[in-house]
Amino acid sequence: MTIDELERLLAQQPVAVLHRLARGRVHRHFRAGKRRLIELLLQHSSQNLAGLESDVQALLAERQGQPQPPPASTRTAHRAPSPPQKRVPHRGGEPESSEPAVSLAGWLEGLGVPAPQPFVPDPWQQEALAALSETDVVVSVPTGSGKTYVAVEAARRAMEDNRTVIYTSPLKALSNTKFTEFSKIFGADKVGILTGDRQENGQAPLLIMTTEILRNLLYDAASGEIDVRLDTLGLVILDESQYIADPERGVVWEETIIFCPSQAKLLLLSASIGNPQDIADWLTSIRQTTSRLVRHSKRTVPLRAGYLHPNGKLAPLFKTAAIPAGHPNHLHPEAKRLFLEYEEETMPSGRSRR
Amino acid sequence: MPPSIHPVDLIAALRLKHLTPAIVFLTSRRACDEAMESFDHADIVLPPARQEIIAAALDRVIAHYPSVAEHPLIPTVRRIGVAAHHAGHLPSWKIAIEELMRQGCLDAVFATTTLAAGVDFPARTVVITQSSIRKSRDFTDLTIGEVQQIAGRAGRRGKDQVGFAVITPSPYIDLGVLTKGLTGHPESIDSQFTITYPMVLNLLKAHPHEQIQGILAKSFAQFQLNQRAELLERKLDTLHVQMEPYGPRLCSDWITQWQTFDQARRQRPHRQHVKQQESPELTARFHFMTSGRVVGLARGRGIVLRQYRSKGQRNPMISVLRPDGAVTECPAATVAEIFDRAFECDETSAFPWCSAASFDELHYQLTELPTRLPTLPILVPKESDPLPDAIVQSLGDFPCPTCSSRPACQKDVVVASRLRQEQQRHTKSIQALRASLWHRFQERVEVLQKFGYLTPSAHLTDDGEWARLIRIDHSLLITELIRAEAFAGADPALLTGVMASIAHDDDRPGAFPRISTGLSSLLGQVRKLAESLSPYEDPPLLRADIAAVAERWIADPTLTWIGLCRLTTMAEGDIYRLLARTLEFLSQIHTLHGTHPSLADSAAKAIALIRRGVLEELP
Repeated sequence: MTIDELERLLAQQPVAVLHRLARGRVHRHFRAGKRRLIELLLQHSSQNLAGLESDVQALLAERQGQPQPPPASTRTAHRAPSPPQKRVPHRGGEPESSEPAVSLAGWLEGLGVPAPQPFVPDPWQQEALAALSETDVVVSVPTGSGKTYVAVEAARRAMEDNRTVIYTSPLKALSNTKFTEFSKIFGADKVGILTGDRQENGQAPLLIMTTEILRNLLYDAASGEIDVRLDTLGLVILDESQYIADPERGVVWEETIIFCPSQAKLLLLSASIGNPQDIADWLTSIRQTTSRLVRHSKRTVPLRAGYLHPNGKLAPLFKTAAIPAGHPNHLHPEAKRLFLEYEEETMPSGRSRR
Repeated sequence: MPPSIHPVDLIAALRLKHLTPAIVFLTSRRACDEAMESFDHADIVLPPARQEIIAAALDRVIAHYPSVAEHPLIPTVRRIGVAAHHAGHLPSWKIAIEELMRQGCLDAVFATTTLAAGVDFPARTVVITQSSIRKSRDFTDLTIGEVQQIAGRAGRRGKDQVGFAVITPSPYIDLGVLTKGLTGHPESIDSQFTITYPMVLNLLKAHPHEQIQGILAKSFAQFQLNQRAELLERKLDTLHVQMEPYGPRLCSDWITQWQTFDQARRQRPHRQHVKQQESPELTARFHFMTSGRVVGLARGRGIVLRQYRSKGQRNPMISVLRPDGAVTECPAATVAEIFDRAFECDETSAFPWCSAASFDELHYQLTELPTRLPTLPILVPKESDPLPDAIVQSLGDFPCPTCSSRPACQKDVVVASRLRQEQQRHTKSIQALRASLWHRFQERVEVLQKFGYLTPSAHLTDDGEWARLIRIDHSLLITELIRAEAFAGADPALLTGVMASIAHDDDRPGAFPRISTGLSSLLGQVRKLAESLSPYEDPPLLRADIAAVAERWIADPTLTWIGLCRLTTMAEGDIYRLLARTLEFLSQIHTLHGTHPSLADSAAKAIALIRRGVLEELP
């Protein structure tokens, strides 16, 4: 989609949609009118049009999916003749009875294993990788959308250039998992690990460590202790970099980023956070190149929310099958009823609910 | 209806709807363990084919990590395909479970919400049972980011077309928090930059003092402070515009001039006013008219039974027991003297305001009182100072009463002074925002200079040179201990014990082995030092029982892991983490081999001794 097409598409949307898109992208967007808002949106995400586009599509899909709560009458009619459900029957692989309400069936629709497909990287993944050849990149995407793929590909490319890659994670357990994972991908001789109490293959081109260890390495380098690994350092990947807001350890991430040698590219991978633009702006202000923000909020595997009553009854949580972003009150009537019932029963007697 | 769904029913319900594999997030480790126990006699066993798959997968993991083999949960895992995964387990167990989950062998894993970030394996379904988690001591609501982090584990790429986040209620759940979390936009994150002693030392080692401010300015903290400062500067700009009509008039600083004049003008009539409020003297004295107190009234003495305030005017009142046995009510203002004598009085909430026994006792005491009694010296606070007389007298000298711009000044002063106040406030906070990091850095520098790690010109001293290598929490305490030669000649076990007690920051109680006398006296010294350092650094918990656990592991090389676990009630995972963290601290001490060879040697020995059994097996 070109800029013009995107602009036309945006112009067709109601202004509320535009404001939702602008959240986190445009500072004080609520002040702007529609015209100005579109301008600002395009201007602020000129670096990341693909991300904006995917968010627009997600919003559109969601708005189309919304108005479809099934009529209540059919549901009750449907349920009446069916036998009362027995609790906790074990039926391993049996096909499930058509017992639940229509909407529940709709909610469960699509459950299952997708047909195997050749892996095709998402546009945002390619965009992040392309940008990384020139500058630092901040990635803020939902949990489970494939940040690891970006890390692996970026590491592979840097290693092909005979550059050292350092990958840091906040937890030792995560470091260990990644060590095993990367060893499988790149071969055991290419991957090393350094944690507070473990050092293995410390001269490998791909080093996995906790962020504290990298910070210490950088401090030692700054005070004149020469470390060859830092000379050839081409890429530093900081996974789970939302830890920068951790009350106790956040400072370590800041130190690491401040002292990261300028010849090495930074790749910050983080879960969805509210202000990734701030992080990118900060990087731009202290590093030599303008850093690129890659963000999107659409999950690769769509998520649905359900409500399971203590008596074993399952209901969709929201009116729509997908999670209605920005509408926490669009609850499914069944889930609402069940939860009210639950609250009434579990509240200490003699106290009213509000 | 049960307050929350039974784990067995939960798994059955999920299986029925084909919502497995699932991660079930529970409030606490104990909840996870209890959930696992409830499967002991459950009949929802897996078909034999799947049990075999799990057994085979387990065997493959056990080949790598032998410690998994003895885990008590293994039968449940094999039979039912559910497992627990929380911080109380050994890392090897957690790795095993993660591996089984990745291979799709398990139906459900029970995990704690606290460790949601550490749960790095996806499932088809995530079950959420609570809306708050324990942080330090209190329960706080989950943030939007946390809810999304938890829900994000649902849906495996390539294995699921959709993921499910299922909420099942338990007591104290707030559905609103969760629905908001699922549908909301994650919160902004803020910098948590702090300036630590090792940071100061390392910065000063590599850069001259003058450059540091520039380096601190590169932090995300300063970036965000600047953002706030810019916001304030913009406000300041608009204030400047608003202030324009209130520029200099006949006198250049007319706002201050008018305010002083106004204050002086108000002060004078105010002094002639009849005080409506009770006098400060009465307020001071009223505090002493407590029940049991002997007071002197216009006619005779009495003992105060209670004090209260009258209903309409809220005058201070007291109920008094008179010598004739009557209980009278009188205003506190009529009390002439308050004597330095008070009796025990058993108060009650109804007439006669004390129990019958103490009423009789008080009545007796009152009649038996000597004729002369000392009175209580009561300090009465002085009335607040009026404006200095000079100003009041010079009221005639103010130009304001006859000034031609007086009406304008009088009209504008409210708005103008508010604007000016705001301006001053903003200017101050901008200054603070711009310079706060630097000030905090300077504070740290001063402390380090005081202790002799830095020279007055902010260069590293000899002590500073090695102290900068200790880059862990409580670094000041550790370096001071080394300087005080607390570890001189200490064997590895003692060193490990002390390091463990410094490293451990959990106050979970439990039963622990007894501590040796050598370690206990050494810990006593450490505590004293930590106490004296408390103005500069928060002292660690320094638990003796924790020190004893670590000491045992080092001192007795024949002790097995199981044996160590039997000595305490600590969970396996906690012991492991304690020893791993102690290892980190020891390896920092080991870096001092250049300046403190014997200490580094002792640390090296301790490291070698810690690494055995389970600790050797794993990263």
